Amino acid sequence: MKQQHARLFSWMMLVSLMMTMILAACAVPDAAPVAPVAGDAAATAAAPAEAAAPASNFKPVWYAPAPHPYYEDVRKGVEAFEADTGIAVEKQIGPDWTQDSQNQRMEALAAQGFNAFSVYPADASGANGLYEELTAAGANIVNFGTSTAQPTTASFAVATDVKVAAMRAAEELIAAMGGKGNIINVLEVLEDPNTALRKQGIEEVVAKYPDVTIIQEVAGMTSVETAVQKVGDALSANIDKVDGIIATGYTPSVAIAQVLSEYKEKGGERVIHAVGIDTDEVVMQAIANGVMDGTIVQNPYGHGYLSLLLLQYMAEGYKPKADAYFVDAGFAFATKDNLETYSEDILAVTEQIKAELLDKYLEK
Amino acid sequence: MAQSKVEHSVRQDREAGGIGSALRSVFRRSDTSVVIATVILFVLFSFSNTSFLTPFNLFNVSRTAALYVFVALGQAIVIVTGGMNLSLGAIGGLTVVVAGWCMDTMGWSPWIGVPLAMLTGTLCGMFNGFIIIKSKLNSFIVTLASLFIFTGLVQGISQGFPYSNIPRDFTILGRNDFLGVPYVFLFAVAVLTALAYVFKFRVVGRRILATGGNLEAARLSGIRTDNIVFLSHTLSGVFAATAGLLWVSRMGSAQPSTGTDWLIISFAVAIIGGTALNGGEFSALGILASAIMLTLIKNGLIMLNVNVYFEQTFLGVIVLLAVSVESIRVALSNRTKRTKTDAS
Repeated sequence: MKQQHARLFSWMMLVSLMMTMILAACAVPDAAPVAPVAGDAAATAAAPAEAAAPASNFKPVWYAPAPHPYYEDVRKGVEAFEADTGIAVEKQIGPDWTQDSQNQRMEALAAQGFNAFSVYPADASGANGLYEELTAAGANIVNFGTSTAQPTTASFAVATDVKVAAMRAAEELIAAMGGKGNIINVLEVLEDPNTALRKQGIEEVVAKYPDVTIIQEVAGMTSVETAVQKVGDALSANIDKVDGIIATGYTPSVAIAQVLSEYKEKGGERVIHAVGIDTDEVVMQAIANGVMDGTIVQNPYGHGYLSLLLLQYMAEGYKPKADAYFVDAGFAFATKDNLETYSEDILAVTEQIKAELLDKYLEK
Repeated sequence: MAQSKVEHSVRQDREAGGIGSALRSVFRRSDTSVVIATVILFVLFSFSNTSFLTPFNLFNVSRTAALYVFVALGQAIVIVTGGMNLSLGAIGGLTVVVAGWCMDTMGWSPWIGVPLAMLTGTLCGMFNGFIIIKSKLNSFIVTLASLFIFTGLVQGISQGFPYSNIPRDFTILGRNDFLGVPYVFLFAVAVLTALAYVFKFRVVGRRILATGGNLEAARLSGIRTDNIVFLSHTLSGVFAATAGLLWVSRMGSAQPSTGTDWLIISFAVAIIGGTALNGGEFSALGILASAIMLTLIKNGLIMLNVNVYFEQTFLGVIVLLAVSVESIRVALSNRTKRTKTDAS
């Protein structure tokens, strides 16, 4: 019996070893310079800094904690940067949202000689310890998507100004409601410091309208399942008095789209306006069907492109200006009327920020 | 002597009359407390908010509870044999992704996508069971490893993207109802009834309980315990796949994040519902009541509009109060026994 076990374990070990070797063989090789795409010549000419020869010691990494549709959009910006500059970027997506995984993987990348990091921090405070070690070793770090807690050794954060975006969403919702009525405010994850800023922004806007009241807040949504349940419960609790629902997080926006679509399908007669954030297919479908009024469209392309561009400038000897840290990547508001054109609006925002990057944020 | 005391007690019960005897035997059941707690919560929330008893809310509550039932069954069927399945949510997630890939990416009919997704969940359960019985490793370790494997597959296949183009026909089960009762809830009740029957009257059910109660004794009495462990993990995969597919049917899209928060729910509903953590006990009624109770508490907290920052605290306190009904039941049950013993 023991021999059988030993044989079984031997086989398992052998299979594991073979699988590891196969996976290693299939892995993406180390970053190598990428040739610019011919069709992008015009774009390259438009940005002088991009045409400059890559700094010889510039080895950039783009790092996202876990697979998510947002990061796929950010990656497009990173790939555009590669195409425009001819600089290869090591693109890594981690296995989970923990800071521990991020620490281990980024330390391994630093050990391989990578020295410029465009990172989405898994933990706003926890990432600072890792950043201190990497910057002490001479690396530059730019946050994308969100900021680390202050003080931080990251040079920049390229992200949406979440409070301003939440305020715009609230203004749009209240306008759709005709300036009066009751709102359910759906927050996402309370552990995220950005949630408090979003909440604050919405409350400030609501305070300007005496006929608008926030009748319920719901929060704590780590998955779409939980979000659907909580949004459904909140709607049930207020079905006779709710006029609008607002979400400033990805997960609750998807949940609102799901719950309201089902409510309408089942013959729900109350007019409930809704505004969300991000461009999940379910949300965009709900907008196209008239179930939701609109969504805040962030600039993930810009988050990727601009964070890498800042790192490149720093590798060329530029330094952040005093007090320059947060680069507002902007946002657009998508409604049924501009569903076809909103992506062009957001690209124009990126181009504008690129043009003013050196003057506004950097110095020699 | 002890036996004669029991006989005396039974005789006393008979003499006390049918209703009293029936009530006492009901009160001795371990799932009584969770049923009582659920009824008390239902009454309390009914009085606390006028929206609670609206058909819209009751539909939502019963549907969520039904989904919790399937998640809990995936765990309970393994716990009852003395094991556990940490990869339950990942199996559910993988099922969802396979269903989404078939119906959205490949454009296949649900008649092809659903069986393939069910097969995936079943194979995952079989994989866990096979490794456990062949390696003789603890189910905790094996399912922890497979949790990573299945989660990696979910992320690798989906890249985090949801699958949105799910045929509308497939949402009938998750969104429609019969006389106001969600189909999902009726389905859950039917499955629980079948399981209650199997555990009480079928040989395989008794063998599962015996294996969980005392593995060595069960093996010595001729039960092929390896087969039972393999079966329980396979069924766990089936229930996880069912729960995953029902979520897809309810949502009308396949979200790769499905299952990420199932672990706590699966243990909470199963254990509060009377499944013994060290195996050998199962209560279908308890699981149904427990699923309704947890859903009611979450729903009730929103109905009561509690401060979102303290919601988890309220949730914990109410769960604690609700389950403390069990300790009251045990105390009363012991007191009745002592009184009878003293009287004899």
